Formats: sequence, structure tokens, C-alpha cells
Amino acid sequence: MNLFFQQIINGMTLGSIYGLVALGLTLVYGILHIPNFAHGALYMVGAFMTYFLMVDIGAHYWVAMAGSAIIVAIVAVLSERLVFHPLRNSPPIHDKIAAIGILLFLEALVQMIWGADFRRISSPYTGILNFDGLIIPEQRLLIIVGAFVLVAALQLFLRKTMTGATIIAMAQNRDGAFLVGIDANRVAMMTFAISGILAAFAATLYAPINLVYPAMGHVVIMKAFVIIILGGMGSIPGAIVGGMIIGFAEAFGGFYISTSYKDIIAFGLLVVILSIRPQGLFTKGAH
Amino acid sequence: MLQLKNVDVCYGSFKALNEISMTVNSGELVVLLGANGAGKSSLFNTLSGLNKPTAGDIEFEGKRLNGLRPSAIVDAGIVQCAEGRKLFPQMSVQQNLMLGAYVHRRDKQGNRRRYKEILEMFPILEEKAEQPAGSLSGGQQQMVAIGRAMMSRPRLLMLDEPSLGLAPLIVRQMFQTIQQINSLGTTVLLAEQNAFAALKIASRAYVMENGRLVMEGDREAMLGNEKVREAYIGA
Repeated sequence: MNLFFQQIINGMTLGSIYGLVALGLTLVYGILHIPNFAHGALYMVGAFMTYFLMVDIGAHYWVAMAGSAIIVAIVAVLSERLVFHPLRNSPPIHDKIAAIGILLFLEALVQMIWGADFRRISSPYTGILNFDGLIIPEQRLLIIVGAFVLVAALQLFLRKTMTGATIIAMAQNRDGAFLVGIDANRVAMMTFAISGILAAFAATLYAPINLVYPAMGHVVIMKAFVIIILGGMGSIPGAIVGGMIIGFAEAFGGFYISTSYKDIIAFGLLVVILSIRPQGLFTKGAH
Repeated sequence: MLQLKNVDVCYGSFKALNEISMTVNSGELVVLLGANGAGKSSLFNTLSGLNKPTAGDIEFEGKRLNGLRPSAIVDAGIVQCAEGRKLFPQMSVQQNLMLGAYVHRRDKQGNRRRYKEILEMFPILEEKAEQPAGSLSGGQQQMVAIGRAMMSRPRLLMLDEPSLGLAPLIVRQMFQTIQQINSLGTTVLLAEQNAFAALKIASRAYVMENGRLVMEGDREAMLGNEKVREAYIGA
């Protein structure tokens, strides 16, 4: 029975990380209709910034996490200002090509500075909690609690503040948002900044139990796309629930079937769910 | 207050607005008549900054509006209540109204006062304040749309087909409300196909056809004009 609960913890850990990355991706898609393939690279840059601040500068884990979030938010805003904003009136394919360009640029830049080696970030939370045989490493607990706090904070920001409301308004009716005087540029920059912050937090939370390397964003971004398609493009609850579905499917599939198949399980689920509900789980109509 | 001089707007090779010159004076209620596709919405969207003029000048209270972003135009005091309402359907009525005050977001006290005034104007919205705007009836949604526009404290309010798709009783109330808004000091530019009802409350009117202004006159002249009566009033 403990093994079963162990998989629940593993599923929640994975689901939390996937959910955080997918949230940033779905926010940008929901508001600007840009499928930001570079989001995985932002996740990777977040991990490297934490690595840099902790290992090279000697900052504490939490300080490094905050620093990484600020830097990745700036990188995300710059990508919006310098790349996506000038393409706003271009055919949609240009956004997609540009996003892949940013992804390749960031990966090459990181590889040029730090090389292609696998690196490790040590966490100050290395202890293991034992609840009557159910073993939870502290870092995994931190991931689950951290993701919960971030999602709750994001919801509070979006629902309870005027600034957050402008993001939702833009997603619900773009013309309506313009007509009340909401500044599209401001909302675009804010949305990219939030997506960058979420990616950096996810990377910093997950890096101590994983490895840090320039291509680390590839698998995560593929899963994040699966999640937002599955949850409904642009849907915030869809990203969270979708993240958990993929996380649990991988944890249980990996344990009860084989870890070799865990990536196939995510895509298999996508095929099954989209066959039943083509518009995704949380949208009322196909986008 | 508002002055347009030879304004052209093109969508690709199609000229949607052709040498539009018009004036709206402070305190007036000016009606824009025209059939579907005449260019009324294109003109409103141009004044709101959603379309960019390809020629001509737009001035509001002495300030040139050409090329300004929609947010800057709302800030300048021109607010549009668009055809189709363009509400935020999953947000509550209250949230929709409060977002109308976005350009005055720092004046929280003023916004609360304004919110109360809007609820006095549309008492039914107080009961519906927590409901998603998309769940309301057409008439109530139109009240939210007008209320949201009024929350921006416009000096010039543009209303695009506010009576479209509403029941006759609601249409009557809507025109009374528009007249009330105007009498309280807001200048109104009203695009309407319900010409008779609109002209009854108007100071002046323009008639638009194929992207051009083809006629102008005060209320009496327009109501008495045979061509207007035939084409738009049906009598």
C-alpha cells in the first residue's frame, strides 16, 4: 500500500512541475495566442540562473530562486518586446518560427557559457520524512507545497487585483479590453513576465532532484504542450489539472508498467482524451 | 469638441471611410444614421483607435488623436460602447463595471461613487452584480455595456447600435437612459438604425452611405426630410 502512496507523491511532484510550466504557457497562449515554444528554454535558463547564483555567487537557495525568477522574467519580457511584439500583425506562422528561434538562441547561449555538461544543484532540504513507512524527501514536499502556494498566489492576483483582472479581460474579449482602455502592451509584458517567473520557480524547485543541462527544457515543454492541449488551450484550471493527470499517469505508468514507457503514456493519454473531448477538458468550445 | 477633417480609412484596397468631415459640439447628442455596412462601426472604431486613418485629421478638445492607442483615447475621454457589447462574459457584472474604470484605477473612492451612480441608473444590475455578465439577458447585457462605458467617465460617449436585438419595451428604456446620460452632461454620438427613436432624442444627425457622409442636419430638418423618412424611418 505504501508503494501506491509513494506513487501518489511522485505523481504530485511531477504534476506540480508540469502544471507550473504549463500555466505559464497557457497564460501566454490564452492572451496573445502565441504558442511559445521558447517556454522550455525559459525553464532551462531558470535552472541555470539558480545554478549560477548558488554555485558561482554562493547565494542561498531561496535568494537564488528569487534572483532566477527576476532574470527569467526580464528575459521573457525582452523576448516579447524584441521578437513577438514586432510580429503582432504578421501571419501566425511567424510567431512560431520566432519562438523556435528564441529557443535555439537561448540554448546555444547557455551552452556557450556553461558547456553541455550535466550539472547538479544541491538543495538545503535534503532530509527525508518518514510517515509510517511512507517516505517523502523534503525537496519533493517543497515542490508540492511550493506549486500549491504559487498557483494560489496566481489565482489571488488574477481574481482580486485590477492588474490581474486586465489579464483575464484580455483573454475573454480582446476588443472589449481595448475599449475600456486596457493597455495591450502592458498586459503582454506582464503575462510574459509571469510565465517566466513560473518557469524559473518550477526549474529551481525541480533542479535539485534532477540534472541541469542545456537541453533540459525539451521534454518539459513537450509535456507542457500536451497538458495545455489536454486541459484546453488557454485554460488555467486545465493547465493545473492536466499537469496532475500527466504527472500521475507517468508516476503510476512508470511504476506499474515500465519507466521506459512513461513518455509514451503522456502522449497516449493525449490521444485518448482528445478522441473523447477534442476541445480539451476545460474549454466550452474548440479554440 | 470633436472634429474630423477628410478622414479616410482603408482595409487593404477597400476604402471603408471616404473623406469623412464632421463635428460634434460639447453637450450635443448627435445621431449617425446609415444602413448595415455604411461605415458607422468603422468610424467608431477609428475614433476609438482600433482602426488607423490613412488620411485626414481627428481632433478632440484640441488634441490630435491620429495614431493614438485605444488606451490613450479612453484616457483622453472618448469611450465606445460597441455593437455586440464586447463584455467579459465569464466575469461578474461588478467586475465588468469596475474594469470600465480602468483608466481611473487609482481613484478608488471616485470609482466607488461612480459605481453607485451606475447602479442607480440601472437598478437591476445591483441584483445581478455577482452573476457572470454572459448569463444576463440581452437588455441587461446592454445595460452592463453602457454602465461599463460610463465608468470610464467619458466626455464623449459613442454608442454603436445599442437597441440592436432588444425588445421594444427595453429599447424605449434604453433611449430614455441615453437621453438621461446626455442631459447629465455627457456628449453622445449615437449610431442607430432605429432612426425615428434616435432622431427624437437627437440634437443633430448625419447620414452615412458607402463610407461617406451624405447628409447633415438638425433634428427637425432630418425628421422632415423626405429622403430620410423614406430610407430610414419608413414613412
